[in-house]
Amino acid sequence: MFWRFVLAAVKYRRRRLLLAFAGLAVAATLATTLFSIYWDIERKMRREFRGYGANLVIAPAANSPTVPLKAVEEAERLGAVAAPFIYAIGRIGDERVVVAGVDFRRAGPLTSFWQVDGAHTAGPGQCLAGSAVAAHFHVTLGQSLPLASGACVVRGIVSTGGAEDNRVMVPFERAAADAGFQNSASMVEVRADGNLVNDVQTALAHAFPGADVRVLHAIAETEASVVLKVRSAVFVLALVIFGITTLCVTGNFSALVLERSREIGILKAIGAPETRIAALFLSESMVLALVSTVAGYALGLAVAYEIGRTIFSDTAQARAVGVHFAVFAPVMGVTLLVAALATLFAASRIWRIEPAMILRGE
Amino acid sequence: MFLRFVAQSIRRAPRRKAMAIGAVALGSAVATAMLGAMLEVGDRVNRELRSLGANLLVTPKSASLPVDIGGIRYQPAAKDEFIPKAAVPKIKSIFWTLNITALAPSLHAQTEIGGRDVPVEGVWFLRDLRAPDGTSSAAGLRALNRTWKIEGHWIDDRKPDARADECILGEALARSLALQPGSALNLFGEPFTVAGILSTGGTEDDRALVRLEVLERLTGRLGQVDAIEVGALTKPEDAFARKDPSKMKGEEYDRWYCTPYISSIAHQINEVLPMALARPIRRVADNEGQVLNKVRGLMLLIALAALATAALTVWSVMATTVLERRYEIAIMQATGASSALIATLFGAEVALQGFLGGLIGAVTGVQLSGAVSQTVFGIHGSPPELLVPLVVVVATAVALAGAAQPLRRALALEPALILRERA
Repeated sequence: MFWRFVLAAVKYRRRRLLLAFAGLAVAATLATTLFSIYWDIERKMRREFRGYGANLVIAPAANSPTVPLKAVEEAERLGAVAAPFIYAIGRIGDERVVVAGVDFRRAGPLTSFWQVDGAHTAGPGQCLAGSAVAAHFHVTLGQSLPLASGACVVRGIVSTGGAEDNRVMVPFERAAADAGFQNSASMVEVRADGNLVNDVQTALAHAFPGADVRVLHAIAETEASVVLKVRSAVFVLALVIFGITTLCVTGNFSALVLERSREIGILKAIGAPETRIAALFLSESMVLALVSTVAGYALGLAVAYEIGRTIFSDTAQARAVGVHFAVFAPVMGVTLLVAALATLFAASRIWRIEPAMILRGE
Repeated sequence: MFLRFVAQSIRRAPRRKAMAIGAVALGSAVATAMLGAMLEVGDRVNRELRSLGANLLVTPKSASLPVDIGGIRYQPAAKDEFIPKAAVPKIKSIFWTLNITALAPSLHAQTEIGGRDVPVEGVWFLRDLRAPDGTSSAAGLRALNRTWKIEGHWIDDRKPDARADECILGEALARSLALQPGSALNLFGEPFTVAGILSTGGTEDDRALVRLEVLERLTGRLGQVDAIEVGALTKPEDAFARKDPSKMKGEEYDRWYCTPYISSIAHQINEVLPMALARPIRRVADNEGQVLNKVRGLMLLIALAALATAALTVWSVMATTVLERRYEIAIMQATGASSALIATLFGAEVALQGFLGGLIGAVTGVQLSGAVSQTVFGIHGSPPELLVPLVVVVATAVALAGAAQPLRRALALEPALILRERA
């Protein structure tokens, strides 16, 4: 009997309830969207900072000229991206030029900011030329650069605005052989995920006491501060918006009770106790709130996914939006609570309604 | 008569009206706060990213190829390759002067300490730079790299002093020489005291830094610098920015020139310093643009989602207020009011509510977005003034749009039916 009342109320006032439903569903959608974005914004933003390349450098300590190559494997074992580099002076004709040995396969993720005309990697007998080197020696793509240690074919021309512009990049093995490096490098660059930088630094410094493991503070700290700020901006905005939209919804739910003074009058006239009438309204709003929160949550996930896909579209992993119970539970809890409070607040009028007055039409 | 109707309607049901106005206000507050925050966050993140140091490097046009590894030169620089120090302030006279947040000129040399070559850099630490137009701004390494921290103290170089004997050592260099702040050492055969030890993780760790004028004197290169680092706030590069400006037509060139792309700022620096070449430092400049694009895009989409929600809320509230008053509409129709009159009457009421709600909401929203940037960035930002009138107009329009459809339906119904239903 009780539930028949509730269901009938839903059936006969479809339009009115639809509005209340829409209002609450929209609030839940927005809350879900924002909190889901907040949930993995950190991971996504940190990914964006990978383009800056290394945030750790392993340099030789004062008493040794080189860094052991094992440092690369150790850094990789710690979950970081690492690549060794060799810097040596070479000759072209009677001019000196810096020749850099690059492990192109490993260095790829660390050098994504290089602007390269041509290929990004060079094999045996090939090299990449810095833009200033190419201009100085008048070589273009595909031509041969007459390094004293053996000519190489220019596969790409690199422009970074930094030191690379003045260098010739050859495969690591060749530079090692030319400069006499054995299982060692001039420097190892490491990229650890932002939140792991300090752990990786400590572990590497411990494993290689003879080397100098440095954190590139500017990159590591800027990353941390930007990620933190964007994250907290999204969080604060999510709170503000969730607060405001739920406030809007309270009006809707109070109105559901206030409008029906006549029905309340009739119910009271035929002897229904006030608590029972209030329970009737409460269950009506709870059913409504439950359905709209679930609908809003589903829609919110879709919107969050779409936003993630539009903004961070680079990789499939970055697009993913998870179903987080930690998001669902508070959204659900708050919407139900707000709907209940709004209904109960309005329901306090039930006790004050005089059936006779209402039914007479006043 | 018309105004009396509207006034009466509001006086008779003040609570209901207040609720409607409140709902519109809340919706507008969301919209305003989001729009304000969206603009603010992009700006703040742009400034935050500037703490990564220079994104432009200006070097003398050179006939020879620099041969250096980690700051040690293996080939002396030609004597005629320099930028006159007097030309440095000209960078602050380009079109996008205001976007140049900091610049730091420097002179590079090397000296022998304990049998090995050590790079020495003459720099401005932090000083006022007087631009050609008379405005002054902070310049120097510390203005450019605000996150740098030092053990000991910085050199105060606001007053030029070519005889000063203080230097700053990179952390790795100080460690290998076993020096602390306060220690003494010889550079170029002259005694210096270590003022502080700098640790950045970059090339600075292996260097000694002295005042620019001191290094000029020690190397005999008076009035010369050989690099200027520039930090500029830029617009992320898009396809248009990467076009070759020399192939652009008049109007296109003007648009490129008047947009703060890193390439157009470099171009403008090249114009005022013909002896030098300004190049974007890709590692900083490109990633800056990329991160900024993501943050701005994210904020824009969140703002759009919030705007849509706010509009829906206002829409549904206004639809409800009309729906509730079908009985009144029927009575008016029954007593002979024309549809046009009723529509105008309700329209005026709804517009009034939309206007008031929008105004209250926009003003609250401005406060809210200020509070958000205060919480997140520690700076009380203020959204653009134009936001308030814009939100008020939109709120009124959305309120009217929300009321229109239910009103049309109510007017189309037979009044007798509604009146009987009620009786």
